[in-house]
Amino acid sequence: MPPDGPPRRVDARVKLIAAVGFVVAVVVAPPGSWRYLAGLGIALAAVVVASKTPPIKLLARWLAFAPALGFLAVLTAGRVAESSALPWRIAALDLVARNSLAFVAMMTMAHATPWTDLLAAMRRLGMPAALASTLAFMYRYLFVLRDELGRMTTARRARTFGRGPGFGSLASLIGALLGRALDREERVFAAMTARGWDGTLRTLDD
Amino acid sequence: MHIPDVLLGGGAAAATAALGAAGLGWALRRVDERHGPRTTSLMGMTAAFVFAAQMVNFPVGPGVSGHLLGGVLAAVLLGPWAGAVVIAAVLIVQCFLFQDGGVTALGANFVNMGLVGSVGGYAIYGPIRRALGGRRGILIGSMVAAWFSVLLAAGAFSIELGAGGRREDFFRILSWMALVHAGIGVGEALITGLVVRFVLLTRPELIEGGTNEDELPRRMPGWLSPAVAGLGIALAVAAFASPFAAESPDGLEYVGSMFGFLPDEEAPPLVRSPMPDYQAPVPAGFGGIDQVKAATAAAGVVGTLVVFGFAWAMARVFSAGDAKRGAWADAA
Repeated sequence: MPPDGPPRRVDARVKLIAAVGFVVAVVVAPPGSWRYLAGLGIALAAVVVASKTPPIKLLARWLAFAPALGFLAVLTAGRVAESSALPWRIAALDLVARNSLAFVAMMTMAHATPWTDLLAAMRRLGMPAALASTLAFMYRYLFVLRDELGRMTTARRARTFGRGPGFGSLASLIGALLGRALDREERVFAAMTARGWDGTLRTLDD
Repeated sequence: MHIPDVLLGGGAAAATAALGAAGLGWALRRVDERHGPRTTSLMGMTAAFVFAAQMVNFPVGPGVSGHLLGGVLAAVLLGPWAGAVVIAAVLIVQCFLFQDGGVTALGANFVNMGLVGSVGGYAIYGPIRRALGGRRGILIGSMVAAWFSVLLAAGAFSIELGAGGRREDFFRILSWMALVHAGIGVGEALITGLVVRFVLLTRPELIEGGTNEDELPRRMPGWLSPAVAGLGIALAVAAFASPFAAESPDGLEYVGSMFGFLPDEEAPPLVRSPMPDYQAPVPAGFGGIDQVKAATAAAGVVGTLVVFGFAWAMARVFSAGDAKRGAWADAA
């Protein structure tokens, strides 16, 4: 259980709307509006501190995101620079800054909101029921399949004595995982039907 | 990699969000009609599978690896609309849980990978499968569709990024995207083909419609396949020709200048040089662009040949089995 602060207890709908609203506010800002972005950044920092999101985790995830972001910024800064009369380097910096703000905002929201709560909030805000239940089911088996994949990888490594896998063997791994996943789906669906599943997901807080 | 929040223009983001929401709603309805209460478990498990399959890294070169995208694979297994729903679920989880792809770019990512990737890919897969028939049709169709789906998605992204901008910018983006994605598409076609081949050899019943081409339902409007195939080919041609075309004047400008020249005949003596423009030096600072253009075109041609070559070679495995099956059917 991650450490939690006051934001954890706020209704998930509020957090979802606030986070998406924050991202929209960042997106619509004209390039180079540094004071506005700094204000948003300070507000975000306060929420990060209150939610007790570990800064190391934030930094690690941001660093993983940064190379791709830098590449994109360098690639597209020319366009921004042309339309906003900013120097090229400043435009690139602006792209990095704004994308980072949006990234950290979404990450803080995800940290402060359990996925099931977030899903319930999306459902109440108008997400189609079929999609919401699909996402809930997907989340339930995501880690099951990841572990299955891990076991299959270990088994393959144990039989190949350190030889790196080729394309064919990796594709067979995926194909085998597909067979196992769909077999599991058949069993789970039979069990769900036996328990009266009719296509509607019912939760306690409905 | 997915589109982050601050990259597309506001108009492109809003338009793709609306298009994506409408497309997803339609896809959900079609899937619900077909699978009923099984929608949740089938879509959810396949989405979890695609997510896990994307974690398998394929070594491409020193320090470089790629992974399956899975749009065409999901469509081959479950049909086009189900494939789009699966991709939507994967994108939503990646966006909200792992911050991969911006929340305001979710619509654009879904349009590119779900609608263009899965539904558009299936529109290419279906006719090839029907035309060739049997396992070869499934394998070749899925590989060709995988390659085109990546290229079409790159084209869609170029349109979104270039929307509202200048024409030269659009062509520059398009040729860069085509260069990169011709390579990525070969990887996607190879992995999709190898996985489909494995499934065909071990669990052919998992493929939508089984291996009997008569059972393949026509689930797309009749005009869609020719439209997507035409678009794909036009895009391929545009992507690989655009590096050469971008510098020559616009067709309209060219015609205009010809008509402009007609009245004053004394100005350019015809003998001097029929096409002086062809000797025009490349503007300073753009020297590298020529290599990029050549590389783009080469990558396109090589990519196409490689994909078709691999598809053909891998499909040969099945020809004997199909013939045998045919003989059995005749005997019975």
